[in-house]
Amino acid sequence: MAALPGLADSLTPLEDTSDGPKSQEVVIPANHEWRVESPPDTKLVIKVKSGIAEIFGIELALEQNYTFQGMNFALFAVEMVELQYSCLDFPKTTISDDTNMKYIYNLHFSFEKMRISSFDGPKVLIVGDSCSGKTSLAKILCSYALKIKSYQPVLVNLNPQEGVYSAPGCISATPISDIIDVTTPTWGQSMTSGATKLHCKQPIVKSFGLENISDNKHLYKTLVQDLGQVLLERLQNDPVVRRSGFIIDTPPVSQLLDDLELFKLIVKTFKVNAIVVCATTDDLAIKIDEILKTQTITIVRLPQSSGVVAVDDVHKRFLQRNAIKEYFYGDHNVTLSPYVAGVDFDMVTVWQPPSILENHESDPTDLLPVEVNSSNLQHALIAITYAPRRASKDEVLHSPILGFGLIMEVNDVRKKLRILLPVPGNLPDKAMILTAYRYLE
Amino acid sequence: MTWFLCRFLCRFLCRFVTCSQSRSTTRSTTQIYQFLPNLEMMSTPGTNTTQPPQHQHPSRTWINMDSDHDKIVNDFCSILDELTANSRPIITTLTKMAEENISCAQPFVEAIEKRIERCVPNQKLYAFYVLDSICKNAGSPYTIYFSRNLTKLYKRTYLIVDNQTRTDLIKMFKTWMAPNMNAMGDPLFDKESLDGIEQFLVKASALHQRHAQATTPAPTVPSLLREIDRLALLTKGRLAQYPSDEKLNTKIIVLEQLKHELQRERMPIQALQQVQVQLKKIFAQEQQTLLQQQQAQQKRSLSTPPPQALEHTPVPRESEPVSLFGSSTLSSSFFPNASDIFPPSDTSIPKQASATTSKVQSLYDLLKKEDLIYEPPFESVVTLDRKIGKTNEQEIQLELPPLSLLQDILGNVKSYFSTLNLDLINTPNLQLCQQTVMQKNPAVIQLTNLLYRAKPNKCSSCGRRFGNSIEEKKLESDHLDWHFRINKRIKGTVGASGATSKNIQSRNWYLHDSQWVTFKDEEIVSTTRSEDAASTFANLNAQTVSKSVDYKSENKPELDVKIIETKLREKYVVVPESTEDMSFQCSICRETTSAIYNEDLGEWIWQNCIESEGKLYHATCFCEAVKDVPQQSINKGFEKLKGLLNN
Repeated sequence: MAALPGLADSLTPLEDTSDGPKSQEVVIPANHEWRVESPPDTKLVIKVKSGIAEIFGIELALEQNYTFQGMNFALFAVEMVELQYSCLDFPKTTISDDTNMKYIYNLHFSFEKMRISSFDGPKVLIVGDSCSGKTSLAKILCSYALKIKSYQPVLVNLNPQEGVYSAPGCISATPISDIIDVTTPTWGQSMTSGATKLHCKQPIVKSFGLENISDNKHLYKTLVQDLGQVLLERLQNDPVVRRSGFIIDTPPVSQLLDDLELFKLIVKTFKVNAIVVCATTDDLAIKIDEILKTQTITIVRLPQSSGVVAVDDVHKRFLQRNAIKEYFYGDHNVTLSPYVAGVDFDMVTVWQPPSILENHESDPTDLLPVEVNSSNLQHALIAITYAPRRASKDEVLHSPILGFGLIMEVNDVRKKLRILLPVPGNLPDKAMILTAYRYLE
Repeated sequence: MTWFLCRFLCRFLCRFVTCSQSRSTTRSTTQIYQFLPNLEMMSTPGTNTTQPPQHQHPSRTWINMDSDHDKIVNDFCSILDELTANSRPIITTLTKMAEENISCAQPFVEAIEKRIERCVPNQKLYAFYVLDSICKNAGSPYTIYFSRNLTKLYKRTYLIVDNQTRTDLIKMFKTWMAPNMNAMGDPLFDKESLDGIEQFLVKASALHQRHAQATTPAPTVPSLLREIDRLALLTKGRLAQYPSDEKLNTKIIVLEQLKHELQRERMPIQALQQVQVQLKKIFAQEQQTLLQQQQAQQKRSLSTPPPQALEHTPVPRESEPVSLFGSSTLSSSFFPNASDIFPPSDTSIPKQASATTSKVQSLYDLLKKEDLIYEPPFESVVTLDRKIGKTNEQEIQLELPPLSLLQDILGNVKSYFSTLNLDLINTPNLQLCQQTVMQKNPAVIQLTNLLYRAKPNKCSSCGRRFGNSIEEKKLESDHLDWHFRINKRIKGTVGASGATSKNIQSRNWYLHDSQWVTFKDEEIVSTTRSEDAASTFANLNAQTVSKSVDYKSENKPELDVKIIETKLREKYVVVPESTEDMSFQCSICRETTSAIYNEDLGEWIWQNCIESEGKLYHATCFCEAVKDVPQQSINKGFEKLKGLLNN
């Protein structure tokens, strides 16, 4: 079915004609934001005709098409911008001058001063409620750091529900050594074997595998500690990264603060020296100050932009699916060719992190063995670790991950399964960890 | 003047007779035959020859010659006046008329000459085409008549027309030089006039070339005479205003005498130059007095009611060419033919002329005072004309660059200056605290320029900015090269077999913690790196427990891996003669690789390729696969690999 052209790609001919009559022009005055809210699966193409326009601090090239799919974003006009956009649907667009850009500039240049006056760059923790502009701020701060000197700030994503240079269900750290891809919610491509339009990034990824931090706080803490340790080691080896510092994007503050230990652990592990609170009032900043009771960490509050949009669960799911799809197949710019490997049941060993919701009794530090069958593994996203297949569960728990595989088909009768691998070749003979994410093509 | 002309004609005739006698052709005798009565007619105007044309048009009756003549000539003139474009029908009609009415040759020639002289410059060429056509088709006597003034006419026209017309004129002239079919292999016109034109053209083109160093041409008697005439005109004009002025009277007399002197005898060139200098001086004086007069006049006119005053207020553009014209004639009037710029009618009415010049002059002075006038330096008319023509053309063709570009330039300049002495370290109020974030900081507003226009060169494909320093320029060119290479790779390259090998790629495995810790992002970002650097790939055999990794020992196996990899890449398979396809598909990664020609071997080979059990693999893929699957045929594979590496 899928091989027949016209059946699988019923949308393509429509997309081709979309550029014609529906193309619209908009002029955005300087220091104004053009905000777009588009439902998932809506393709939006924009082209800057003149002026300086940036999205998440990434300046757009003139006369180049940028294609967005189901992404909410704000285009900030540094100077008056003439913009052309076309979309099949009718996305909700507004223009507003109520931005927090002037505060972000202030913030950025004080970080910039820290970078220039010390070997240790700022170690920034961004906290805030869900949908308070944390990730956008992280992107902007990273992008600006690239601009003046060739800094390589590390973006640390501690929100397992978002996939940043990875599939969802992980926490990761990525040195941002070149422009971030504005058009994808996953920030761009991690390393590929071929040529990509923008430089790829090389992240370090720890697989959490569960949906919510509260599902297994202990595991989450372990991974945060592991990640922090690797990152600090990298900083020691890499003077450029050390000077550039890092920016930590976090899960919604509600998930962090119900366990103060977790919050304190993050601050301690990453040796955070600045906390930016994205909130409309000072309450949260005061609360954090009380928790930490410290003079060495600067806590500042960044006024929220009026452009932040509450993202519902449907959209979140869409972004997660999108992140999985991008990991294996690439995006509209980069086409990747994954590889399907067939293996026998006895060739795979799968572990699973225990979720408190399901197993109240089990020790949260222990991985649970997973029986290989279709009910457990069908369409599941699995993390492939560096640990040998027969390694102990403790070794597997702390092992770095090679990447992800997607179980395409489980045949209980023949005891065989087919697994989608990002890298061509046989299935590595490694232990695997089952994640809570399922993906059906 | 008539005397001069007559003498010239006589001399010309004599030569003509002698030369034609020597050839003694029937045609030339006819020419003389026709020529003589015309000469007679010219010297005694009014007495028309009644001799009928003998050969060409026996059918025509020549009764009522006077009225008939006038009618034809009038017709001819009116048709000629319609020649405002390069119209073939008109030229043909005129040629036909000329052919059929040989008896009217004289007035026709005069009409055409007048037309060439008087019509606007861009129409002169067409009149010349008529001349050309008539001479080529009808031949004599037109050729002879035209020869008289041809050189002068040609020169004058050449000097005031634009460059395109000049080329056309030269083209036409070249056809004259070519042997003419009608005239039995002789050139169309007499040698003297053609030579004159040729010499002129040689000089003119030389002038073209060294227009910058154009020198004052040597004064000639006629040019000086013209100058004197003009000066006398000016003086007379003043004399009319102040009849009591004795000085002016004597001046006129002196000028008159000078003129006679010049006409009477040949003077050495130095003397002529002296005269020129003197004349120039007088001219300058004259101008000054004129100026004073005009200023006085102006003051008077300014006090008079406004409508009149308006006349003297500087008017832009439209009147500018006029004043420019005036100024150029005044400042460069000592060049030959300079006077030709004025339409001849102007000089024929002296008083009016002087009045208009003074008006124009006053306007010119006013504009000059306001700095609204381009004053051409002391140069030849040819250069001058060309320069003026050029600037006019440029003004017409000049399109303003798009507004966005101008804004860009302005923005870049602004931000350059605002960041000129900016120093981040010494900028105050940047210490991270709540106040810094919230307050409006003018320093930050300036610093913001650093993010944008302080680096004015924006990459057109990704929007990245680059500065103007040497290092930044280098970075930029590397960056652009990188884009180029990447785009080429994305598009795919055409292999030897003609099949395009596309950019097939897949996601890499993530690095092991120990690899990532030592990884440098320069590997990715560096635009000059060798593609597929080994360190960007995950090392699957890395130790898993990362708690205390000894990096030194870690590096060693990696080195080995590198050596093995380079060895593997050197592996090749010679393309079998039986295969039609010049590319092979790796059975593991499914990538198609084209054959390359190895000069050392003299064979087409597949690089990085090994053959195993009849299947082709990339050596690197094969190696990886064998390493990864020790269970499956490990011994066979490894042994084979070892064998491969050792031989």
